[in-house]
Amino acid sequence: MTEFQRQTDIGPPHYERFLPPIVKKNYGAWDHHELLRPGVMVHVAASGDRLYTVRVGTPRLLAVTTIRQFADLADAYCDGYLRWTSRNNVEFLLTDPAKIDPLIRDVQALGYPVGGTGNQISSIVHTQGWVHCHSSASDASGVVKSVMDRLFPYFTGSKSLPSKLRVAYACCLNMCGAVHCSDIAILGVHTKAPVISHSDLPKMCEIPTLIASCPTGAIRPATVNGKPSVEIEAGQCMYCGNCYTVCPACRINNPESDGLSIWVGGKVSNARTTPQFSKLVVPFMPNNPPRWPEVVDAVERIVTIYAGNARKHERMGEWINRIGWPRFFKLTGFEFTKYHIDDFRHAGETYNRTAQLRHERGS
Amino acid sequence: MTKERKTPLLDELEQGPWPSFVTEIKKEADRPMAHDLLGILERSYADRVSHWKHGGLVGVMGYGGGVIGRYSDLPEEFPAVKEFHTFRVNQPSAWFYTSDALRTLCDIWEKHGSGLTNMHGSTGDIIFLGSSSAALEPCFAELSHHGWDLGGSGSNMRTPSCCVGPARCEWACYDTLAACYDITQAFQDELHRPFFPYKYKFKFAGCPNDCVASIARSDCSIIGTWRDDIQVDQAKVGEYARSGTDIQSEVCNLCPTRCMSWDGRELAIDNSNCVRCMHCINVLAKALKPGKQRGATILVGSKAPIIGGALLSSVLVPFLEMKPPYDDLKELTAAIWELWGEHGKNRERVGEFIQRVGLGNFLDGIGLDPVPEMVMHPRTNPYIFFEDELDDDAGNA
Amino acid sequence: MAVDIEALKAAIFDLVASTHGKKNLKPMDITKDMIARFGEDNCGKIDVKRALRELIDAGTLTYMYAGGSYITLPEPRSEAVDEG
Repeated sequence: MTEFQRQTDIGPPHYERFLPPIVKKNYGAWDHHELLRPGVMVHVAASGDRLYTVRVGTPRLLAVTTIRQFADLADAYCDGYLRWTSRNNVEFLLTDPAKIDPLIRDVQALGYPVGGTGNQISSIVHTQGWVHCHSSASDASGVVKSVMDRLFPYFTGSKSLPSKLRVAYACCLNMCGAVHCSDIAILGVHTKAPVISHSDLPKMCEIPTLIASCPTGAIRPATVNGKPSVEIEAGQCMYCGNCYTVCPACRINNPESDGLSIWVGGKVSNARTTPQFSKLVVPFMPNNPPRWPEVVDAVERIVTIYAGNARKHERMGEWINRIGWPRFFKLTGFEFTKYHIDDFRHAGETYNRTAQLRHERGS
Repeated sequence: MTKERKTPLLDELEQGPWPSFVTEIKKEADRPMAHDLLGILERSYADRVSHWKHGGLVGVMGYGGGVIGRYSDLPEEFPAVKEFHTFRVNQPSAWFYTSDALRTLCDIWEKHGSGLTNMHGSTGDIIFLGSSSAALEPCFAELSHHGWDLGGSGSNMRTPSCCVGPARCEWACYDTLAACYDITQAFQDELHRPFFPYKYKFKFAGCPNDCVASIARSDCSIIGTWRDDIQVDQAKVGEYARSGTDIQSEVCNLCPTRCMSWDGRELAIDNSNCVRCMHCINVLAKALKPGKQRGATILVGSKAPIIGGALLSSVLVPFLEMKPPYDDLKELTAAIWELWGEHGKNRERVGEFIQRVGLGNFLDGIGLDPVPEMVMHPRTNPYIFFEDELDDDAGNA
Repeated sequence: MAVDIEALKAAIFDLVASTHGKKNLKPMDITKDMIARFGEDNCGKIDVKRALRELIDAGTLTYMYAGGSYITLPEPRSEAVDEG
């Protein structure tokens, strides 16, 4: 067996090793770019050089078999260079426009779609879910797959949108991937306080750290069957799961009461309006694998109504701010409940402190 | 060697046009780990609950980060995924690869683990999903032999990431790839050996479009911007107008400060009132460009809800030149880590720490003067803690 | 006078061993304890960092994760989270 030279603290390989020659030549000297068609861009350098990008959607979870296929395509069409985007798309980088169509044919034959540029819906950034996470309130990949199957025309460009629309998915409030500033966020939620295993807790968990982990102070020390443990004041619990991450004996996962919520109107870009958090639209939908039809329908409804009503360049949140939340709920048909009214810290800042309201004429 | 598993629920997810993660897992299912992963995942779909447990002592020798411990709660039924740890492998800046580099990574991962990956994880790392405890050291040895190192996890600096920047974007206001690489290398100890109250993330965005969501997802958001005037090619603005872009309604009317006007021939910009939002440049990409005096705005404190609620980053330094060796950013970072490292509570992100002690006291602690760019507006409540109420940390700046 | 690194390592090990199973220690907890014990003039954060790194590189102590990173004894157990 070969012995490998173990090294520490070397950091990532230098990125210059992986830059195509055209990128090295025109580094920092790009002039502009254009969308040639859905999923295909050209970046034009001040030198006149043209770099073509073909953007390909993936499920993020990739087999090494697939990565090798992408590598083979990069060899065949891109002199061996490719990159990934911040939203888990693969981008093939070409210098010869004649190779674009053959590349697209090959990549589609492998089962991966081309699109996700400009005002199309790009891949849904998401978390691990049941594939790999301990605190997930739902699966991630399965919901994302189901939603993207339905929104597919918006990815490929056969349906269009007024502006960018970013969908994100997180399987619990930890939000690996921070979905809280997305045009549409799907968020897994627990809705019942954790169940404590008093026999496991003393040997698995350190009680002071556990008590300190609760943001609402709902966890208190208690002696159970003569052993030190804790009790949870269920009325104070907001189901964040922080205690479960600190102490595995506080199991929060529950097949009946775990589910999904939907939030809209967030953005991270500074364009036109400042970055915004997403706001609650649907507090809870049950876990309904393998296809989560209620969630898929709700997301599609929001996208369709946004697409039909927003003005050009208007992101989801900008559109809603223009028409007002009452009209958004009316148009989409989702029920507004007491759960939509914030009751955490600084909740009062979200109360509507004005008489500027849109009214509808009485009959 | 392994019998095909019955996975009727997961099979449903192989239907439809979007590429399927189930198909990906099945591609590697001739090996025991992916085979048993299908089994345990099908069980989760039936039970509607996760079958994973977390935490523990797993890692590679000497590092406190880079490996996430994961165990199944059904070890007898699915023995191949009894241990199913995650490797975080530090990605190259802006996720550029050569086919050869990818094949090397595939060879290593096929040999030591499940053959399943995430390209990429939320923080930016290459994710190797599913390693046994015994495979961790040999896999790491082979990775580092080939020039790859692990990323962050736990209470340390997390793997920095950046947008495509000057490699392929005309709007990059600084070299995001170089800055990301430099900071990652400069803070290797902080990346691998947890020493903080909780995680600390860097994200480098080349312009205010923020394609890496730095303002929502990083404790330190470095967002490119410029100080001088937007560069305008009036002839090309005219070309946009002639080819159907309504300059008045699509550009001027959507400017957040209404600092632009269009008389049908010339686009006038009051640059003193431009807030660098990027909208006009996004729409008129061939005609408008960011100015030439470029740098970045440094913002701190964004995070997801756990524990004290979600935060967006807020302004710490309105404009910083971003030139190697990035000494200003490194000094600022060292000052933040010193203060937060000493006074931050367990699992308290720097944004929450700032909320707790107050931005004013935080600035005193790191030796930065307050400027009006840091707030949306001055305070509205009169409960001012005057100087003699401040603790000893204050006033040292 | 700067603290002897071996003495510092021994003190760190004793601290981790004495709190084992009772309180999880973060590196900063250990640092503060050592600085208090040896005095600010004799022991700084850098010294503790170096001593910790030597202890961990040698396998005498190890990192663990329980919602945050802690330093603990490297007990030979396959699972830290579930012994039940």
